Amino acid sequence: MRRPWLLGLLLALVTVGIVAALVDSEVSGTGAENVGESGPERTVTTQSPAQEPAVERAPRRCKAIASNPGGTNNYIPDAPTRDSLGSGFVITGLVRSADGCRPLEGVRVQVWLATQTGGEQDNGTSVRTGADGRYRIETDPTVPQFGEPNIHVGYDDDEYGEVFIRRVVDLDDERAVVDLTLARRG
Amino acid sequence: MAERRALALGAAAGAIVALPLMLALTDRHLADASPALVLSTAAGTLAASALAIQPLLARRRRIARHQLLGSVVLCLVLIHVGALFVESPGDAWFALSPDGPTRARMALIATIALFGVVALGALRPRLPLKAGTWRLLHAYLALVVIALGIGHAVLTDGALDDAGTTVLLVLGAVGLLGVPAAHVARARRERSAGDAS
Repeated sequence: MRRPWLLGLLLALVTVGIVAALVDSEVSGTGAENVGESGPERTVTTQSPAQEPAVERAPRRCKAIASNPGGTNNYIPDAPTRDSLGSGFVITGLVRSADGCRPLEGVRVQVWLATQTGGEQDNGTSVRTGADGRYRIETDPTVPQFGEPNIHVGYDDDEYGEVFIRRVVDLDDERAVVDLTLARRG
Repeated sequence: MAERRALALGAAAGAIVALPLMLALTDRHLADASPALVLSTAAGTLAASALAIQPLLARRRRIARHQLLGSVVLCLVLIHVGALFVESPGDAWFALSPDGPTRARMALIATIALFGVVALGALRPRLPLKAGTWRLLHAYLALVVIALGIGHAVLTDGALDDAGTTVLLVLGAVGLLGVPAAHVARARRERSAGDAS
């Protein structure tokens, strides 16, 4: 070895590059926060603007949620409406309008995930929000088909801008909460 | 004495291969899994076991077997990845993308290093590298493959959790410690050969 320091420097630089590439990544993928919960389900009451005290306020605006990478993985448009996808795990969330932060009733949300009964392409459903702006679907527990249990929630109807969300949960979680704040199209 | 030692080493190598594979294939996560996911898991598990054995073969100067097993590891990794593409192309592409999770990035870097270390082994006679340079590069890439390959397996939820994680950590420790041990053994052999002459 004529110049051992040169090779040592090269390998040190490669090591720094590898460490930087790993540190730069997100543990579960970009934007895939852990939304899993366990224990008794919380009961949440949503206060609509009509119930709020009648005081003069500037128009409220909530930040619209953005799609995150991997959100459309295994998406099949127009999933059929089903009462449930099994039992043992609940996916729920509040759907609001970015303009006014109001809960949105009757909005169709699509949910898909891998469970013991099949992969993400086999386990999808459409579910509508209730009067309180919440959707809820019970499923079999999600399984780590690709190294970590993950769920997808999407909206792609006409009224609001489309969003496709990928989130992760832990193996022993019983619930996932994915809230969506939607902005009008155009 | 030598025969008994060879027998014990053979048994240890057998256990290194069989135990993780048995744990993975009997895990509840694979109970209803597709054939592609079972194949991918089995191939990845066998590759992890082989990574622990490789430095032991190098230390005992079983170079032909070391080279053969290196090629086998590369094939196993390609089968592992290929089966994941069969299982879900969208998830597989996402895993390899810049937005993929840390465990996938570890796997990607480990696979690139694996190509490098196998190429170094296969092309050694034709490469214009001094023996010391070649050995350092080969050892460095081998350490990257073992550290990130086993790290990828540890961070992956599924068939090798709990006891499986412990087994993976042991495989990683055997592999990572085996690389410098193989070099120390070679240096000792060269020193004693020098003393004898």
